[in-house]
Amino acid sequence: MDPEAGHFETEMNRGFLQILVLAMLEKDMYGYAMVRTIRDLGYDVEENTLYPLLRRLEKNGWVKSKWDVSEDRPRKFYGITDAGRGLRTELLNIWNKQDQILEHIMEAKNHV
Amino acid sequence: MFEKLEAYLEEISHYLSGREEREEILSEIRSHILEKTEQEFGETSGSSLGKVIAAYGPARRVAERYLDGRPIIAPALKRFLFRYTALLFAGHFLLTVAAVAFKRSFLMFPILYVPSMGPFEALCYLPTALLFDLGVVTLILYLVTQSKKDLRLPWPKFSVDLDEVKVPKRTIGNVSGLLAMTALTGAALYFYIRYGTIFFVNLDFDAHQPLFTAAAGQWYSLILIGLWALGAASLAFKLATTSPWVDAVKAGLSLVLLGLIFRVPLDTALVGRPSQLPAGLVRWLKLSLTITVLIICVSVAADLIKALVRIGRRKLPRTRMAGQNRP
Repeated sequence: MDPEAGHFETEMNRGFLQILVLAMLEKDMYGYAMVRTIRDLGYDVEENTLYPLLRRLEKNGWVKSKWDVSEDRPRKFYGITDAGRGLRTELLNIWNKQDQILEHIMEAKNHV
Repeated sequence: MFEKLEAYLEEISHYLSGREEREEILSEIRSHILEKTEQEFGETSGSSLGKVIAAYGPARRVAERYLDGRPIIAPALKRFLFRYTALLFAGHFLLTVAAVAFKRSFLMFPILYVPSMGPFEALCYLPTALLFDLGVVTLILYLVTQSKKDLRLPWPKFSVDLDEVKVPKRTIGNVSGLLAMTALTGAALYFYIRYGTIFFVNLDFDAHQPLFTAAAGQWYSLILIGLWALGAASLAFKLATTSPWVDAVKAGLSLVLLGLIFRVPLDTALVGRPSQLPAGLVRWLKLSLTITVLIICVSVAADLIKALVRIGRRKLPRTRMAGQNRP
């Protein structure tokens, strides 16, 4: 891929990953499980990007976390908060609107 | 087996020093790496751990993703780093040349002290001065950035706006300039080899009279030939590349050569020579030659500043792009 196109992809992924994480965390999950789930859906996510994102979302009160130490290996589980649900709705509205605009433009182009 | 993992976490920890949540970040990364190794390789061995760690990314890059990304110098201020450093260094350079030429010290406590010095000391002093200027400007821009105030930094308007400094094109002018400079350098070399100098009082080469003493004449001739050869070489390079480094290197080396002129002071270069010249004319010669060399120094320093500004401006977009790619 053209390196410049790679930059655009990174920019797009950044926004998409935020919505994706907020959408996934309706059920509590830990980092590695999220990476596996996302990869199983055919989307590649950089592990070292996911954790800082979760931390930022938590810092802003959109997700909450707690350590589960009941098993041999401690795991940090994340879940969405009410504020996070509000943000998710807003982001999805923006996403849908952008999608509609793009579709409209592409349809108009195909009719030319 | 886990030494590799602990060393990796230690390195990340080093870059995260000062952050309250450092231990928690490291615990989470440790948990992730161990779980991934177990899930994807079935066993936790040194080799499998190494692969998972490598896939997680270099420690510094991992740590950077947790940092808030506030730059040391705001992107909008970065161009002032080169501008102000160039301006400050130009002043520093002129005072250094003056300190060498007039054997005087200049003191503006506490920001500037240029001691009286010889040409070789000046050559050692100038790089230090450049680093000092860069440090001072960086500190000021850092403080402005951290203050988060919307300050409008001043920048004087020059007859040539440094923002408008264009990348020179490869033109026919370069080719003719190269031919002229090569011819000039060749002719000067011919005269130097034949007469030991290129500075004459008269144009009668059968009974030629050198302007300076033999040693001074040789020294000044070699420097002038070096400057012309440098000009020719830079024009030749410009036929192949438009890189501002060509101008920067040429100007830097020219300044070094010009600095070497002062190694043989004009006072001694004209002593008893030529006896036929009236004393008034010799005084006028000394003054006009000193002023000419100083003007050339200023002009070359200006070229160096322009080249450095162009280099800085070329680097800015790359820096900005790299900054945008951080999550």
